[in-house]
Parts: sequence; C-alpha cells; structure tokens
Amino acid sequence: MTEKSVTDKTESDLSLNSTPSQASAAAPRRRPRAIELWTTIGPFAVFAVLFALVAVLRPAFLGGGGLAILATQATAILLIGLGQSMVLHVGSIDLSNAAIALFGAILLAKSIGTMGTGAIVLVIVVCSLIGALNGFLIAFFQVPSFALTLGTLGLLSAASLIVSNATTVYASGGSMLSSLFTQGIVGLAMAFWIAVILAIVLWAMIRYTVLGQSMTAVGLNETGALFSGIRTRLLKIVAFTLSGLLSSLAGIMIIAQAGSASSTGLGSDLLLPGITAAIVGGTAITGGITNPINVIFGALTVTLIPIGAAALGIPSEAQSLVYGLVIIIAVALTISRKRVGVVK
Amino acid sequence: MTKALREDTPVPADVPALKLTNISKSFGPVTAVDNVSLEIPRNQVIGLIGENGAGKSTLLKILTGLHEPDSGVMEVAGSPVRFRRPQDAAAAGFGVVHQEQSLLTNLSVAENIAMNALSSKDNATKGGWYRWGQLNREAETILAKVGAKIDPRSIVGDISFVDRQMVEIARALRVDELTNATPIVILDEPTSVLERDETAILEREIKLLKNIGSVVFVPHRLDEVLRICDRIIVMRHGKVVADRPTGDVTEDELFQLMIGHAARASKSHAAERDGAVEPLMQVSGLTRKGEYKNVDLTVRPGHCVAIVGTLGSGRESLVRAMFGAEPFDSGSLSYRGKQLGSWSAAQATRSGIAYVPAERKTEGMVGGMTAAENLVLARTGKSGLLVNKRKQKKLAQEWFGKLDTRPNNPSLHLSRFSGGNQQKVVMAKWLQSETLQLMILDHPLRGLDPGAAETVNDQIRAARDGGTAVILLADTLEEALDMGDDILVMRDGEVTARFDLSVDTPTSLDLLEKMV
Repeated sequence: MTEKSVTDKTESDLSLNSTPSQASAAAPRRRPRAIELWTTIGPFAVFAVLFALVAVLRPAFLGGGGLAILATQATAILLIGLGQSMVLHVGSIDLSNAAIALFGAILLAKSIGTMGTGAIVLVIVVCSLIGALNGFLIAFFQVPSFALTLGTLGLLSAASLIVSNATTVYASGGSMLSSLFTQGIVGLAMAFWIAVILAIVLWAMIRYTVLGQSMTAVGLNETGALFSGIRTRLLKIVAFTLSGLLSSLAGIMIIAQAGSASSTGLGSDLLLPGITAAIVGGTAITGGITNPINVIFGALTVTLIPIGAAALGIPSEAQSLVYGLVIIIAVALTISRKRVGVVK
Repeated sequence: MTKALREDTPVPADVPALKLTNISKSFGPVTAVDNVSLEIPRNQVIGLIGENGAGKSTLLKILTGLHEPDSGVMEVAGSPVRFRRPQDAAAAGFGVVHQEQSLLTNLSVAENIAMNALSSKDNATKGGWYRWGQLNREAETILAKVGAKIDPRSIVGDISFVDRQMVEIARALRVDELTNATPIVILDEPTSVLERDETAILEREIKLLKNIGSVVFVPHRLDEVLRICDRIIVMRHGKVVADRPTGDVTEDELFQLMIGHAARASKSHAAERDGAVEPLMQVSGLTRKGEYKNVDLTVRPGHCVAIVGTLGSGRESLVRAMFGAEPFDSGSLSYRGKQLGSWSAAQATRSGIAYVPAERKTEGMVGGMTAAENLVLARTGKSGLLVNKRKQKKLAQEWFGKLDTRPNNPSLHLSRFSGGNQQKVVMAKWLQSETLQLMILDHPLRGLDPGAAETVNDQIRAARDGGTAVILLADTLEEALDMGDDILVMRDGEVTARFDLSVDTPTSLDLLEKMV
C-alpha cells in the first residue's frame, strides 16, 4: 500500500485499511439510474403497454383466450430469438437459425413415423451439429458470421426442399408431441413454458457461470478476452451450437403445433421475427449485452403486434404498416445502446 | 501573419489570454473541479499537472466546451464567455490536441487539417465543395507555421507518429485562421504515443508555439514540463495547489505537490535476491519474417529482462509470440524446461504467464464489464464452473485497497475509470493469480501519471522480488535501467546488445546508441 502523508484525508485512509463492509460504505452509493432501470424492465413494459392497449380496446381479446394464442404463436419465435441472442452475445449473427429449425422440422416429420422418440434425438443432434459447424468455420477460418450463415441459409433451404420433395410433409405418429400445445399450465401451452424455462436457464448461465461471463467478455472485447486467456474460438462454437440446439427445439415445436412441415408453411419465416425478438428484448447487436429473460418479452411483443392488429380489426393491408411502425417504436425504446461510455 | 491587423479592438498586453475565477464542476457526489481560479498569460506555455483524477481532464473539457461548469466565470482576453458546445470554444480560439490521436489515417494530411468544427467558415470547403488546390495551400501554410515539413498531400497513415502529432497541432491551430481570436492551444499528453527521440522534436515545436498564442500543456512525464513550460500549475483533488514559474521548482517538489508525498527510488539488484536459478522461459533462434530474427532470450524466476528498442524493433511482436498470441516462423520456445509445441494465449495463461498489452483499452481489458469482473477475467485454470459473486467482490475490495484504486467502487464499468486506475485493475487481474510465474509487460506505465505509475511499479517490483519472472518493454530507458536485471537492445528485429546489469552499468546513451 502506498504511504500517505498527512495532507491526505484520514477518511480515505480508513477506507483503504478497512474491512469489506466499511469499504462498501465508503464507496459512493450507486443510484439505480433511470437508464439502468429501463434496461431491465423496458422490454416488459413495452409488451405490457401494448397488451393492455389491445385488451382495453377489444376486451373480447382477453375473453377469447388471446393470451393463450399469443403464447402458442410466440413459442417458436422465442426459441429462435434465444438462439440468436446467444450468437449476438459473442458479437456474431446467425442468419441460418430459422432455416435450421425448418430443416429440423421437415427431418422430424419424415422420420418420426419410423423412429419415434429417436427422431427427436436425431433432430436435436443434427441441428446442433449444423450450428457447431457454423461456429467452427467462423472461428477457425475467420469468415464473418454474416456472410457464412447467409451461405448456410441457402444450403439449408435447398436441403429442406430436397428432403421434403418441395411438398408438405405430414408427421405420422406425432401425437406425443401435440400434447406440448394441447396441455398447459395456467392456460398457456406447455411448449411456451419450456421455452421460458430455457430462457431462465440461459439467463443464469450468462450471469452466474464462468462460461457465460467468458462469452460476455468475447462479445464486448474479443482481443481483450483473448489476451486474458479466454478460448474465444471455442466460445463462438459454443454460441453457434446453442443456436443450432435452440433451432432444433423450435423445429420440434413447429411439428408439435402443426403436425406437418413444408418449406413455405408454418415456421418458414422465423428469421426476422427471431432477430427482432432478440433486439426488442434489449440484446445489443454489437455483442456482450443480453438478457434472455427480456427476450421472452421481445418474442411476445413481436407476436402480439399482428395478432393484436387483427383483433382490433385493422384492415389487412394496414397490418404490415402497423407492424412496421410498432416494431420501429419498440426497437427504439428497448434496443441496447452502448452503455460503455468513457468518462475520465 | 500579423495578428494585430485582424483584431478589431486591441487588448492591453497585461490582460491574460484566459482567466478562470472560482470554476467548479461536480458529477453527482464527486467534485471534479473545486473552485479553481487561474490565469493563462499570453504567449506562454503553461504546464498543467496532477495525478489521474486530480481534475485535469475535467478542467480541459470545460475549456473546450465539452462540459459546462456549475459555477464560476471564464474570461477570454478580458471578456466573459460561456461555452455550451465545442464549437463555441473553437470560435473563441481554443484548439485541442487530444491524448489519443484522432486523425483519419486513410485521408491526406490536408483533409485532416481541414476537418474542423468550424469548417463552414473555411473558404476551401465552403458550400461543401473541396477546392483541392486551396485546401493543400492552406495546409501547407499552417504546417509551415508550426515548423513542420510535411507534404499536405501525403496520407496520414504513411507518415511517422511525430509528424502525425504535428498535424494534430496544426489542426488545433487552425482556429486561429478561422476566427479573429488569439489561439489557445491545449495539448493533452501529446508525447504519450511517441518514442523518446521523437519527443524531443515535438518539445522544440511546442516551445515555438508560444510566439503564436498561448499553450496549455499536459505533460506525459514530469521532466517534460520543466523543459518546455514557463509556468506550472499543479492540481490535486480538484484544486489548484500550486502555480509557480518553472525556474522556482524541481521535479521532486512537483512530484510532492502532485501526490502529497516524496518519490521513492529503489533499485535492488538481482544479486541481493536469490542467486542462480533455473531458467523459466527460454527463447532460442526465434524468427518471424519482417518482425524479428534469430532472438535468444532467457528469463529466470525473480529476475527482470527489459527489452528496449524503437518502434519497428520487433520487440512487441516477439513478446506476443512468447505469450502465444502471435505465430512465429522458426526457432523454439521452452517453458519450465519443456519444449513448447502448440502454444496459445489460453495455454500460456493457464501455465502462469501474464500479458499486459500496450493498448490497454482495446486489448488489455473489457471496458464494458465491471472492474470486479475484469479482476477475475484471466483464465488461469483455477476458476470453477460457477461465478462466485461474493468472492469476486471480496477480491475486488482487497485489490482496490492494495492499489489505492479510485473511485473505490469495483461495480462500475472499467471503462469509467481513468487510465491509471484501469491499469491498476489490469495489473491486479494478473497479480491476484496464485499460479503466476511470468509477467510480460508491454509499456505497463504508458499514459499513467507519476502516482499511479509508482503504485504499479511497486507491484511489479514486489512480484519480481517474490519470485515472478518479468519481461518488460519499458516506456523509457530510465525505467528499463531501473527495473531490469538484464537489458536486451533490439534494432530492426535483431538483438544488437545485451547488458547484465549486475556487471555492466550502461547509461541511457549506451542503449540509445544500439537502438538507432
């Protein structure tokens, strides 16, 4: 410890030598600033306000099981959005995850009749491997993730068309999956609750595990993380593998919900809603700032807008307009601005 | 150029260029600038010194319109001013050279000089059109004014660091061309990015600047301020504690005024520590094309090898190879008696090697994480699966106390700390590791004020005396001579001299001779 002369205040000397409790008392108390509070509750608040708006203008929406419909519709988007938020968290982007989900859905529809439960395992493994391969190529060949996953997106779309023969594939014997949507807790589908639990698990992973903190470091400053001995390439592979895994679950949910899959059917347009869900959930596109629990509200918001617009009787040609406008406002309100200011 | 012709009302000579009366500025509970009154006379170079956190930066930001003071009066050439935006300050004649170079390296010198808050008043770019001939001529004039011989058409990325700094100064001085005010040039540690011989050139130019206007100079090292300033203003804890003519103070006195206690010099020789020990890391014949050639180097526990050399000597790349962060073409590395095959930063960290890079903000830390999180960032192989927030907090409090880190709040983002305090956290990140064996330090004191530098230096010394090996790329030759047991001199990628300080006593000049 540096020697102190008499000119230094005794107070600061005290805090230097003090026990932890004294030291924390001496530190300037951190006031929960409005911006930090908003970062935490913003995505929820945006959803709550929109939901309340719909419920007040059209009370029948609530009575008609609007919330249950919302949760059902939001499930796949939430899973895709969670995967996207993991990849965004390490500073990359995965444009192929929705295509992985659809490919997984078609693969499942094809194989579940003959393989049963084994088909589910197969889909999870295959999709995770595709994600891992994405991550591997990005980490070791230094390909920008945007370009590489754009390529994978094309390849997977082609693979989906080939596997499905460009028609709708019906899942025979998929009844064991449909209970995911027919059964529910407090009126919301089981599938939705599974996605919510996964979001909480991912939140805890980021916050309380060395793995999660390392991913945060990679997303915020990759070189800084590398020079601290963090295996940055491995972590990118982990993030993309998680994205693949969550996509496979989204694929399974598509089959559970619709009982069939096709290249143009349910779940064929999840990519942009997934990214939007992550961003409306406060995920920073620059990396390192992600709250998976808020992605739940991001996904609910993204799903609510078209459903709510329809419930309010907005003419269909105006619905896209409303969707666009509300998304712009929601993103403006919730997108993570770089909290990393330099104050000297 | 004759100033008087352009001035509408001549100001009496005894009116200071700038006068501050009772200026205060607080951020929440922290008073950064506390009732500061000072005068900057015309045609003088004023040194402004103080520890990190003494309020220098805030004061400079007030002068340049980035912050508005809470109270107090600012007068420029006798008339009160209020700066609400940086443009206001520029219009009043303030030009700034920031600590970090802010030139756009892929544009030409003239374009960079033209890029200015007041460009709308500039004929060469009026109406949004570039008049290239005029632009280059204007740049040439202003470069000549600061005594720089740089082609305004050359691309900034191609010119040397010292030339770039001259371009920064030329750009700052341009406010003089565009307004009728006498320029007040603020130089915030302009020498911190320069090597020593380049610093001398810049110092000479700064001394000439006072013929044009006033200069406020924040030095990187104390000796600079004594060489080039007419007066020295010392700040501590937000207050001005001294304002003296340069002739009346010594470096030791300034140091004492800044941090409140005297500097301590200590040079302990390796001989006084334990004797011959097995080498910890051995480098033999290490070569990377275009960077370094055939380097041999041995570090022992408890010893410090200082590597000196100018930019382009290859020493940065060499130590990065030793840390596993950059590849090499041929030669071999052995660590703890074992030949290393594949080698990566992750492996090096897990085997007890620490690396403090010169680029602290972009490479040494994760600014968006809290100081406490940064402290446990190094993956030394000891961390488990879960983050123990309580242990993390306790560790942070312990090291914040040990290194006198301010503000004493480890839960703030590290980017919010001043440079010196950031470096303390970066050092603590490695020092807290129980498995630490070798520290590779690339300019560990860069950009640190004397107080913080002393704290960091003490820690390096303590670690070395405790048996940790140190490889040091020092900021100054004095630092290398002070800390090193062995000194390796590199030039253009080759080792040109070795000194064992237990037998040799080279001077700075001896080293310099082998460097250039």
